[in-house]
Amino acid sequence: MNRPARALSQGFWTCLGCRNLVRAPQADSCLCPRCGARMHGRVDGSIMLTWALTITGALLLIPANVLPVMTVIYLGSGDPSTIVGGTLELYHAGLWGIALIVFVASIAVPVMKLVGLVILCLIVQRRWDVSPRQAMRIYRVVNAIGRWSLLDLFMISILVALVDMGAIAEVAAGAGSTAFATVVVVTMLAVRAFDPRLVWDVYEEKVTAASAHAEGNSHGENG
Amino acid sequence: MGHESRQGTQSEQSGRGDGPAHGALWKRACHQCDLLLTRAHAPVGQRLICPRCGATLHRNMDRSVAHTAALSLSGLLLFVPSATLPLLEFSLFSFGAENTLINGVQSLFGAGYIWLASLVLFCSVVAPLGKFLLLAFISWGSAWARMAKPVARALRWYHHLQEWGMLDVYMLGILVALVKMSDLGKMSVEPGLYCFVAMMVVSSAATVSFDAETVWARIARHRADAGKAGVGNGAEAEGAQ
Repeated sequence: MNRPARALSQGFWTCLGCRNLVRAPQADSCLCPRCGARMHGRVDGSIMLTWALTITGALLLIPANVLPVMTVIYLGSGDPSTIVGGTLELYHAGLWGIALIVFVASIAVPVMKLVGLVILCLIVQRRWDVSPRQAMRIYRVVNAIGRWSLLDLFMISILVALVDMGAIAEVAAGAGSTAFATVVVVTMLAVRAFDPRLVWDVYEEKVTAASAHAEGNSHGENG
Repeated sequence: MGHESRQGTQSEQSGRGDGPAHGALWKRACHQCDLLLTRAHAPVGQRLICPRCGATLHRNMDRSVAHTAALSLSGLLLFVPSATLPLLEFSLFSFGAENTLINGVQSLFGAGYIWLASLVLFCSVVAPLGKFLLLAFISWGSAWARMAKPVARALRWYHHLQEWGMLDVYMLGILVALVKMSDLGKMSVEPGLYCFVAMMVVSSAATVSFDAETVWARIARHRADAGKAGVGNGAEAEGAQ
């Protein structure tokens, strides 16, 4: 059976900084001869780090949604609003286009990212039966959407400066925004920590085991 | 000499046709699925895509270094007005307030949201500015052999900084703020916003046009030239490798 050659099993490492192909040394890690970044065969402790950062993100998502992120004070009155509350407000005001953008960026994206990261970790660790192409699709989506959740925070920073008229109208940030900012940063780091090549390593192992099994069957030795 | 070099390329080409029989022929591994490939670079104007997982491995833009140099310089020029001029103005009754890239961060910082303020500052000001500076340094500096080391370091920094520049997200934030507050008071667009949009477009264009492999190839060529000049004719074969 003609199987595609993998770099690690052929004794090669790829530098993730400059994507240089290097012959693997005896040591655990080395410096890339081209760009000088430290390199490993696979990202060091990838699954552990991804789990740690994902769980941190999931826990921080609770204060981020419970605590208010922003307060719009107009003529002395104004309720602090949470992320969900702010989105609903926009929806009720008839601005459903903006409501949809805010909903996607600050509710759907963080949740999707955390769920995607958990699925990816389980695919590698628990050997879930997901085709690697599917797993790569999850990885790429999670990678691409991450930065857009900062939208809400940028909006807050714009409004805080813009609507600053003392007693008449004022926008103040809330404690939830700090938690939300941390969620975004932590999940972005989690995606960086995840090494998608592990998905293919697991897949390769499975295929090897399956083909060995099939061979055993054809010889009539397996019951 | 000419005959020898031709022979070299011929043997390489026939080796490529033979397929993955010899370990020495591997040129690149996919950074997302670890598949070994016998080609390292895409032809000019094309992309090299991993046949197994579909990741883009290399995009060879025509005249990448020249375009990046031009784009990063125009980005630096555009940065000055978009960071100093107001982007939006909000007016209510007789009061008015303006928003620049920096003063939102200042307000947040003043209100005690230090972490939030520094994150917004980093993603909307420091990272884009750093990207333009690094790209300008890389594309101009790679012309000199002496600069090989700092350019290599700049390339590494650029790789880390790249995903934290979020001008496009900030732009969407401006749009959302514009619509959200329009029922409360009067929002108007200021000249700084046009510069900001231009800077955002230039930033994306610079990211797309930049190709690190071209710069690495330049540095390798400089090193080979230096080796040739240093050791003389005897090292010519080694330098050509």
